[in-house]
Amino acid sequence: MTAAVAVGLLVAGGSYLVLQRGLLRVVLGFVLLGHAMVVLVLAAGGDRGGFALPGNGGGEPADPLPQAFVLTAVVIAFAVTVYLLGLLRAGSEEPSPADDDARGPS
Amino acid sequence: MSLLVALAALGGLAAGAPLLTRALGRNAGYVLAAGFLGVACLLAAHTPTVLDDRTVDWSADWIPSLGVSLALRLDGVSLVFSLVALVVGALVMAYCCRYLGDASARGPVYPLLALFAAAMVGLVLADDLVLLYVFWEITTLCSFALVSTAGAKAAGPGRHALVVTVVGGLALLVAVVLLTLATGTTRLSAVLADPASVLDSPYALPIAACVALAAFTKSAQFPFQSWLPGAMVAMTPVSAYLHAATMVKAGIYLLVRMSPLFAGQTAWSAVLITVGLTTALLGAVQALREHDLKAMLARSTVSQLGLLVAVIGVGTSTALAAALLHTMAHALFKATLFMLVGIVDKETGSRDIRELSGLRKVMPWTAAATAVAALSMAGVPPMLGFVSKEYLFMGLLSADVTPWAGPVAGAVAVTASALTFAYGARIVWGAFGGPVEQPELYEPAPAFLAPAAVAAVVGVLAGPAVSLLDPVIDSATTDALPGSTPPSIYAWHGLSPELAMSATTVAVGLVLFWQRDRVDAALQRLRFPDGPALFTRGHDALLAFGGRVGAPDRSPSLAAHLARPLLAVVALGVVGLLTVGPVPARVDAGDPGRWLVVALLGAAVLGTALATRTVALVALVGVAGLFVSLWLLLSGSLDVAITLLLVEVLTAVVLVLVLRDRPLRLPAPGPRRLPTAVLAVAVGLVAAGATAALTGRRELSAAGTFFLDRAEELTGGTNVVNTVLVDFRGLDTLLESVVVGVAALGLLLLGTATVPHPTDTDDVLLRVGTHLLAPGMLLLSAWLLWRGHDEPGGGFISALVAGIAVALRQLASGTVPTRAWLQPGPLLGVGAVLSVGVGLAPLLVGDALLTPFHLVPFLSSALVFDLGVWLMVLALVVAVVQALGARPEHEQVAA
Repeated sequence: MTAAVAVGLLVAGGSYLVLQRGLLRVVLGFVLLGHAMVVLVLAAGGDRGGFALPGNGGGEPADPLPQAFVLTAVVIAFAVTVYLLGLLRAGSEEPSPADDDARGPS
Repeated sequence: MSLLVALAALGGLAAGAPLLTRALGRNAGYVLAAGFLGVACLLAAHTPTVLDDRTVDWSADWIPSLGVSLALRLDGVSLVFSLVALVVGALVMAYCCRYLGDASARGPVYPLLALFAAAMVGLVLADDLVLLYVFWEITTLCSFALVSTAGAKAAGPGRHALVVTVVGGLALLVAVVLLTLATGTTRLSAVLADPASVLDSPYALPIAACVALAAFTKSAQFPFQSWLPGAMVAMTPVSAYLHAATMVKAGIYLLVRMSPLFAGQTAWSAVLITVGLTTALLGAVQALREHDLKAMLARSTVSQLGLLVAVIGVGTSTALAAALLHTMAHALFKATLFMLVGIVDKETGSRDIRELSGLRKVMPWTAAATAVAALSMAGVPPMLGFVSKEYLFMGLLSADVTPWAGPVAGAVAVTASALTFAYGARIVWGAFGGPVEQPELYEPAPAFLAPAAVAAVVGVLAGPAVSLLDPVIDSATTDALPGSTPPSIYAWHGLSPELAMSATTVAVGLVLFWQRDRVDAALQRLRFPDGPALFTRGHDALLAFGGRVGAPDRSPSLAAHLARPLLAVVALGVVGLLTVGPVPARVDAGDPGRWLVVALLGAAVLGTALATRTVALVALVGVAGLFVSLWLLLSGSLDVAITLLLVEVLTAVVLVLVLRDRPLRLPAPGPRRLPTAVLAVAVGLVAAGATAALTGRRELSAAGTFFLDRAEELTGGTNVVNTVLVDFRGLDTLLESVVVGVAALGLLLLGTATVPHPTDTDDVLLRVGTHLLAPGMLLLSAWLLWRGHDEPGGGFISALVAGIAVALRQLASGTVPTRAWLQPGPLLGVGAVLSVGVGLAPLLVGDALLTPFHLVPFLSSALVFDLGVWLMVLALVVAVVQALGARPEHEQVAA
C-alpha cells in the first residue's frame, strides 16, 4: 500500500508544480511525475520485500523485469530533464516579452 | 494501347504548351487545336468497334495490393463524351488564338486548358473507380486554377467553386470506397456489370447519395448551382470550355455511367427528376432576369444541366438517349454562344444588354452566328437543339415514378424551355437588335469568328442529319443501360406529343419575348437567395467555428495545455471507479519501515508546492528523490535505487550549473492556486487509487519467474536485472541508449553558450575534495561496470558515477573538460559502435541479434555492450556540462 500512497503524493505534487508559473517548477514537476511512474511500474511487478537476486535479500525475490524497465526509464527521464533544463537556459537567454515588461524600455 | 497514346498525347500537349507559346505566342492554340483533333480522330477510329458493341481496353497495374489499376476503356458513352471534350476543345483553342493577347497567352492558360482536356478525356475513359476519382479531382483543380487566372476579383468565386466541387469530389471518393467494398473490385466495368451486389449491399443508399451529391455539385444542380455563375469571372474561353461544354458535364457523365446500377430505382429517379427540374426552372427564370450576356448564359447552362439530370433520372432508354444527344447539342450551342459573347465583349467593351444595341448592322456575321446558336438553344427546327429537345420531352414524358410524373415533368420542361426561348431571344435582341449606337464598330477578324461560326453551322447541319448520330447514340445508350432497346433518332418523327410541346414552347416563348418589358419588370421584383453570399457566410462561420475549436490551443500558458491531459486522467479515474469490478486480494509483503519513508516523502512533496525560493524547491525535489530511492531500496529494487540516487545527485549538480546565474526567488505561483491544487489532488487521488487497485494483487509474473530461474544458466550473470538489460532485452537497452544520445545531441544543438566559465569557486573544500575524489570515482565507476553483470552495477550506474565526477569537477574548477576524448561526439560515436557492433556480431556466425558470447575468458559480449551504454550515458553528462556549464556569451561580455 505504500506504493499507492507514494504514487498519489508524487503525482499530486508533480501535477501541482507543472500547472504553476515558472519553467523551473514545470521541469521539476515532471521530475516528480517521473518518480511516480518509477514507483508505479515497480509496484506493478509486485511487492515481495526481497531483492531481484535469486536467493538474496531475505524475502521472496522481486520481479526483475519491471526493475529493468524502470532502470532505463530513470536514465531516460534524466536525459529528458536535462534537455528541459537546456531549453530553460536557452529560453532565458532570449528575453521574453514578460521580461521586457518587467524591465521596462531599455 | 491507342487509349494510352491518346491520353499521353494530351498530357504531352499540356507539358509542351509553355514551349509552344514561347515559340508561337498566342497562335500556339492552333497547334493545340490540331493536337486535340488528332486525338479525337485517334479515338473516333475506334467507332466501328464501339458500334459493334465491343470496347477498346487497356490496363496496367497501379496499386496491385489494392487491386487498383490504370484501366482505360472506350465504349459508346466514353466515345460521345470524349469527342465532345476534344472537338469543343479544339474549337475553343482555335478561338483562344484571337481572344488572348500574346502576353496572356504566355501565361498558364494554354497549359491548364490542355491539362484539363487530358483530365476530362481520362475521366470519361477511366475504367477504374480510383482512376476516375483522380481525374475528377484534376478537372476540379484545373477549373480553380483557370478561374484564378482572372486575378483578385476571382478569389471569392474561385474559392466558392472549389469548395463546392471538392465537397462533391469527397462524396465521390466515399462512393468509390463503398462501391469497392460492396463489389470487391475497383474495376468500373465489373462494378457496373454487377448491380445486384451493389443494390443488395447495405451501402446502396449511401453510394447513390454520394454519387448524386458528386454529380450535383459538379454539374451545378440545386442547391449548389450558385458556384457556376460565380465562376464566370474566368475568361470567356474558360467559361465556354469548362463551365459550359465539358467540366460541368462530368456530373452528367457520372450519372449516365452509374445508370446501370440505379436507373429505375424509385428514390434515384425521384431525387434526380425533382432536383433536375427545380434547377432547370430556377436557372431559366434567373437567366431571363439577367442583363449581363455571360451571366445569362451561365444561368442557362445551369438550367440545361437541370434538364439533363432530370432526364437521366427518368432512366429509360429513350431518356438516356435524349440525355446523350442533348449533351452534344448543348456543348455545341452553348460553347458557340459563349465564344460569340466573348467576341461582342472584346469588340464593344460591354456585355450588358442595356448598353448594347443594334450590333446586327455593324457585326452582321456575328449576329447571324449568334442567332443560329440561340435558335438551337431555343429548340427551333431544324437545329440539333430542336431534335435533342424533342427527345428530352419524350424522355421526360416516359417518367413513371408515379402515374403523374411524366405529365408533370413534361409540363415543367416545357415551361423551362419556353423561358429558354425567351432568354435566347433576349440575348439576340438585346445585343443585336435596336438602333445602332456604336457605328464605329466592325466585324471581328474572320479567324476570331471562325471557331464559333463552325460550331454554329455544325449545329444547323446536325439537326437534319441527326440520323448519322443514331448509331453512336444507340451504342452509347446500350452501354449506359445494358439490355435496353434505344429509340432511333430522327430529325422528324411525325405529329407527336413532343412536337406539340415544342410548338407550345415556341409559342409561349414568343409571347414572353413580345411582352418582354412586362416580364422583365415582373421578374426583377422576384427575390432569390444570394447564393455566393450564403456560401461566404457559411464559409466564414465554419472558419470562425474552427477558430473557436482551436482557440484553447493558442494559449501561450503552459498550464492551459497541461491541465487538459490531467483532467483526462481524472475523467479516466471516474470511469474506472464506475466500471472496474471487485479486484483480487492483495498479496503484499508487509511494509516495514516504508510508511515512515512515505510520510517523509509526503512532507518533501508538500514542501515543493509551497517553496518560494529556487534553492528550497531544488533541494526539496532532491530530497523527494532521495526518499523515493530509499523506498525503492526497501522494496528490493537495488539497481533502480542506486541509479535513481545517482541521477538525483547528477540532477542536483546540473541544476546548480543552470541556476547559479538566476534569481533566487521563484516567480509567484500564478493566480489560480486553488483550482490547480484541487486538480492536482484529484489527479493524485486517481493515481493512488489506481495503483492500489491494480497493483500488488498477483504472484510473480511468468516472465519474472523465468528470468530468476534461468538467467544465470543462460547468460552467466547473476545480477538478473542487468542480464535483462544487456542480454534478454538488449535491443530495448540499445534503443534507450540512442534516446540518451539524441538528448545529448539536442543539448549540444541548443548550447548556444560555448564560452567557458572560469570562475573558480571559493569553496576550498569542494575544490580540493573534488580533486581527491575524482580518480577514486572513476575507479569506482570502472569497478561497477566490471561487476555489473553479477552484482548491482552495470553501464548506467557506472556511467552516472563517472558523470558525477566530471560534473563536480566542472562545478569546482569552472572549466569545461577539454580533453579530446572527453567530448560528447567521440563518446557517443564509440559507444554506439561498440553496442551496435557487439549486438550485430552474432549475425556473422548465424546467431540471433545480441546473442551473448565470450570474446576471451572474462570479457563477455555483455561487458562490451555495457561499455557502449556507459560511453553514451557519459556523453550525455559531458554534453550537459558543456552546454549548461558555460555562461551565455552576452553575459560574459557584460561581466
